[in-house]
Amino acid sequence: MSFRSIMLDVKESLGSLSRRSFEVKLSGLSGVSGRHRGRSGAPVVRPHEEPEAVAESDNTWAGLPPELLREVVRRLEESEGMWPNRKNVVACAAVCRSWREMCKEMVISPEFCGKLTFPVSLKQPGPRDGTIQCFIKRDKSKLTYHLYLCLSPAVFAENGKFLLSAKRTRRTTYTEYVISMDADNISKSSCSYLGKMRSNFLGTKFMIYDTEPPHVTISSSPILPPQPVKTSRRFSKKVSPKVPSGTYRISEVSYELNVLGTRGPRRMHCVMNSIPASAVGPGGSVPAQPDPLFAGPPSFEESFRSNTTSATSIADHFADFSSARFSDVSGRLNRPDEAGEGSSGPRKVLPLVLRNKAPRWHEQLQCWCLNFRGRVTVASVKNFQLIAAVGSSTPTGHTGAVNPLPVAGPAPPPSGAAGSASSADHDKIILQFGKVAKDMFTMDYRYPLSAFQAFAICLTSFDTKLACE
Amino acid sequence: MITLTSSDGVQFDVREAVAKESQIIRDMIQDDCVITNIPLANVNHKILSIVLEYCQMHVDKTEMEVNASKHQTTTGEGSSSVPVALKVSSNKNLNDWDKEFINVDLDTLYDLILAANYLNISGLLNLTTQAAADIIKGKTTEEIRATFNIKNDFTPEEEAAIRKENPWAFE
Repeated sequence: MSFRSIMLDVKESLGSLSRRSFEVKLSGLSGVSGRHRGRSGAPVVRPHEEPEAVAESDNTWAGLPPELLREVVRRLEESEGMWPNRKNVVACAAVCRSWREMCKEMVISPEFCGKLTFPVSLKQPGPRDGTIQCFIKRDKSKLTYHLYLCLSPAVFAENGKFLLSAKRTRRTTYTEYVISMDADNISKSSCSYLGKMRSNFLGTKFMIYDTEPPHVTISSSPILPPQPVKTSRRFSKKVSPKVPSGTYRISEVSYELNVLGTRGPRRMHCVMNSIPASAVGPGGSVPAQPDPLFAGPPSFEESFRSNTTSATSIADHFADFSSARFSDVSGRLNRPDEAGEGSSGPRKVLPLVLRNKAPRWHEQLQCWCLNFRGRVTVASVKNFQLIAAVGSSTPTGHTGAVNPLPVAGPAPPPSGAAGSASSADHDKIILQFGKVAKDMFTMDYRYPLSAFQAFAICLTSFDTKLACE
Repeated sequence: MITLTSSDGVQFDVREAVAKESQIIRDMIQDDCVITNIPLANVNHKILSIVLEYCQMHVDKTEMEVNASKHQTTTGEGSSSVPVALKVSSNKNLNDWDKEFINVDLDTLYDLILAANYLNISGLLNLTTQAAADIIKGKTTEEIRATFNIKNDFTPEEEAAIRKENPWAFE
């Protein structure tokens, strides 16, 4: 029997079967024997396709045994570490299922490799070692902000890998920033829409919303505005989620004036509802992150899920917890420190709280100083450095005294002096933002914040009115 | 001499050192020292001849270096600069040779990857998989599929999700 007639037989017998339920897995084949069998069809035979096309082909790469495909993908992944060449890995991951799976296995999360690869890495935590250096370009006339990944250590980077965009819209009672991964089409009705940031009328409080559910639900759900219960499932079960439509409040940023009024440094307070406070502690982690490659439709997710099961169970764990606490906390304010003291829940899961590092008054320069290690060059009230707030009792002003900043010599507020990097974990600067030129700002972030969260927090600094003259 | 027989029955007589570039043959010879004829059921004569060309070249180069270093030790320190230069140039030559050697069509490359894997020739496996990775570089997804003749087996839903990440990456 000729090969073609075998294929036609197969085709006929497939007639009533759905495409997805019929998968011929050749991945288990090993060694050279894979060649001939590989030749007899791609890993997945789709009944609506012409089998002749497969049969007549002399090319057999679809049947490459997984261990060899892995070797090829590993070499590609290793040699294309930097953008723009990194796009080759993304292209490779879109070829077919087996290639995608292999790329997923090879590309580890930015938390551990410090590299951004797929769009999903925009919502994954930054690196534990070192920072991801970015810059933000502001276009005042179009009211847009574009976040780029720095491709060189230069502060005045002119070229970078585009990461995120935002567009400011002024409403009567609030200001809204729509955040997108499309550089030009920044709108909520686009499938590139990722989330938004909204200010209150005074511009002192900001809410950051994600279109995807927080992968961990801490004490945030009780204070979420009434909405359908969407806590525990990571992805909506819609078949084709064209336009992301969820609104999940993942963070709240508030600015306070200090005793000096608008003249002195502001105080920032960020409650990260989607990150447990324990994430910055020893052995801590951000639980239940999105699928390693992207948040796809459920069926696809299912097929890639095998090694994320543990993460899912953590998500469920948190979901259980938050629902248990619903009645307990609902009347209370959203100040995590207060909630922490009075927490009577079975487990204390508090959200991570970030606060800005208190600048020091520089006697000679007569200004407030922070050490940005050369990454910020223009004094601005918008500049800030965020660190994890340790407990509720630590007075904001103390850190400077406990851990003196190495501000050296007569430098402008952001001193370029290199300081010791061996501070305690809690003193690590998780997000740093500051001006380097007119309409140019640098943004450096690290674990546990994601690029999306960091960008949204930086946007709040653009919009503060009361606290910013 | 050792005789290697390809899957289609063609016999190749090679020096033991050349055959031993393959880990699997090296193990066989070690296990049974009187072995002289090794049938290779998974490699046809066309691919086997290319593989043996690679092994031959690498063995020759290695032997040349060994001889050069022997020469160095026998002639004393005075002439030490010559063999070092020779070694560097031979490494460079070998890399150039590898580069030229691996410039084959995709079907051959595919078979070479499988053969290198089966025969366990690590140098050749590195060379061939790197060549495949290099071919992927700079291509769009569609170009990769076309080049390697790989079917797009994603469902429309999956495809939509993937299409979302590509404009971002290729901006």
